[in-house]
Amino acid sequence: MLTPQEWEVLGLSLRVALACVLLTLPAAVAMGWLLARRDFPGKFVLDGLCHLPLVLPPVVTGYLLLRLFGKRGLLGPLLDGIGLSLAFDWKGAALASAVVAFPLSLRAVRLAIEDVDPRLEGVARTLGAGRVRAFLTVTLPLAASGLWVGALLAFARSLGEFGATITFVANIPGQTRTIPLAIYTSLNQPGGEDAALRLVWISVAVSLAALLGSEWAASRRKRG
Amino acid sequence: MLTLRLRRRLADFDFDVDVRCGAAATAVFGPSGSGKTSLLNMVAGLLRPEAGRVELDGEVLYDAETGIDLPPEARRLGCVFQQDLLFPHLSVGDNLRFGYDLLPAAQRRFEPGRIAELLEIGPLLDRRPRNLSGGERQRVALGRALLASPRLLLMDEPLASLDQGLKSRIIPYLRHVRSDLGIPVLYVSHSAAEILELTNQVIVLDRGRVAAHGDFFRIASDPRVLPLVDEFGFENVLPVEIVASDADSGACRARCADQELRIPWCDRPVGTRLFVGLRADDVILTRSPPEGLSVRNALSGKVTEIAEVGAVRLVHVDVGRRLAVKVTPEAVGELGLAPGLPVFCLIKTHSLRLGPELD
Repeated sequence: MLTPQEWEVLGLSLRVALACVLLTLPAAVAMGWLLARRDFPGKFVLDGLCHLPLVLPPVVTGYLLLRLFGKRGLLGPLLDGIGLSLAFDWKGAALASAVVAFPLSLRAVRLAIEDVDPRLEGVARTLGAGRVRAFLTVTLPLAASGLWVGALLAFARSLGEFGATITFVANIPGQTRTIPLAIYTSLNQPGGEDAALRLVWISVAVSLAALLGSEWAASRRKRG
Repeated sequence: MLTLRLRRRLADFDFDVDVRCGAAATAVFGPSGSGKTSLLNMVAGLLRPEAGRVELDGEVLYDAETGIDLPPEARRLGCVFQQDLLFPHLSVGDNLRFGYDLLPAAQRRFEPGRIAELLEIGPLLDRRPRNLSGGERQRVALGRALLASPRLLLMDEPLASLDQGLKSRIIPYLRHVRSDLGIPVLYVSHSAAEILELTNQVIVLDRGRVAAHGDFFRIASDPRVLPLVDEFGFENVLPVEIVASDADSGACRARCADQELRIPWCDRPVGTRLFVGLRADDVILTRSPPEGLSVRNALSGKVTEIAEVGAVRLVHVDVGRRLAVKVTPEAVGELGLAPGLPVFCLIKTHSLRLGPELD
């Protein structure tokens, strides 16, 4: 049904999207808690910084990532030192989409945490739970639906990521050529329209599956 | 013994309380917004005072000077709030065991089975909090706090969200906690009637200050406390003992500080001791014994004090207990009321409200 190249593109996209969720969600939970529950000087600025990737053109985000994490970037040598190469690698693609997806995910998670009555955390504390345990056993489970939404948004945003990815890690088959980049490539080849259309259908199917899957999980949680 | 010295700027006023309470149950009483909940939260460690000290049975929980500030989880104080605040994602059983499971086995004082039996919540264990009635939820919240084996139970208007019928069903459970389990209780309420079911040791708060502290019957007619006793509606609370019951006449004969008092009829056996409430407005003072009046009760006593409360005068009469009587300034002049003057306090039987029984 699918050609080997299409399987490769699909597999890579899913891998990048999953990695993107795994990178984004813990960061969104930590930052969401900080912004929802704590007051500190500079909170306004931090909030703004977190939302920056939402308003920046993805190409700009990609370029900034390149200057930071590229081979000759600010942190390039550091990454080389620990044997981690992000440039022209699927891990770089995951990072690019994680950065772009972060503000979306953060919004959902933060709202969900703000929705949890802080007095429930207070009760958990008086019952002997430390701050971390109270968060993990009370706040987080009660914010779970927001976490699902945050994860889905990150997953979907990653599936659609184009600008930051192509700028940061280029368009390398098998490494960084995700579905959008493959569609773009096909459209740039003479007679590539049919191939592009097939990829478009794959993209629609994957996105729909992710959406339905998350709806199903959310409804299961509500009933449970 | 709980020693509190707490200061903190709150939204409307400066909270400044310095009080020690040693009773098994102490009530914190005051109108809405007087700082009662802030007081509890500061004791629990959920709100940090700006200065002061909290000491429980010799252990310092908070001390601004030495920088000691135990986190709530290290204080081992049980909290029950106005809204039950059960964990909605956990079953009743898991709610109950939340604190219990976190406690080292050696420190557990009660078994879940015993608490469930005491509070009659055994059949609810598999349910979710949202499927419980208000009274059930409050009992579960109480059980959850107890199973964490607290050294002190802090209760913030735990009955406020319940209707009268439920209240009277929950109160016996609270008495059990105090007497059977031996856990001291700090009980916040703006309802004096509710407080008196549990204790007469009261701290009266007004705008973040202690207006009075001590036995409710001694302080209830204090002019500083009186204006705060709005919901209660009657300023005098007298302990009486039923000596005879006469259903036909619609009254019981009772004894109050060696004087006879007719109280509204109630289906309680002779010898029962209970409180009756009486509004300071509902007492008439005369200097001579009454004749030809329908009033059944005339307590004799002596004026001890005349206090100004706004535009009225509050006359304290010692009838064996202290009785507060509201009169106009003109009446004080016409009757020549002054400390030491013997007077009679006329009280209509049906202006007496039956209160809780004494233990």
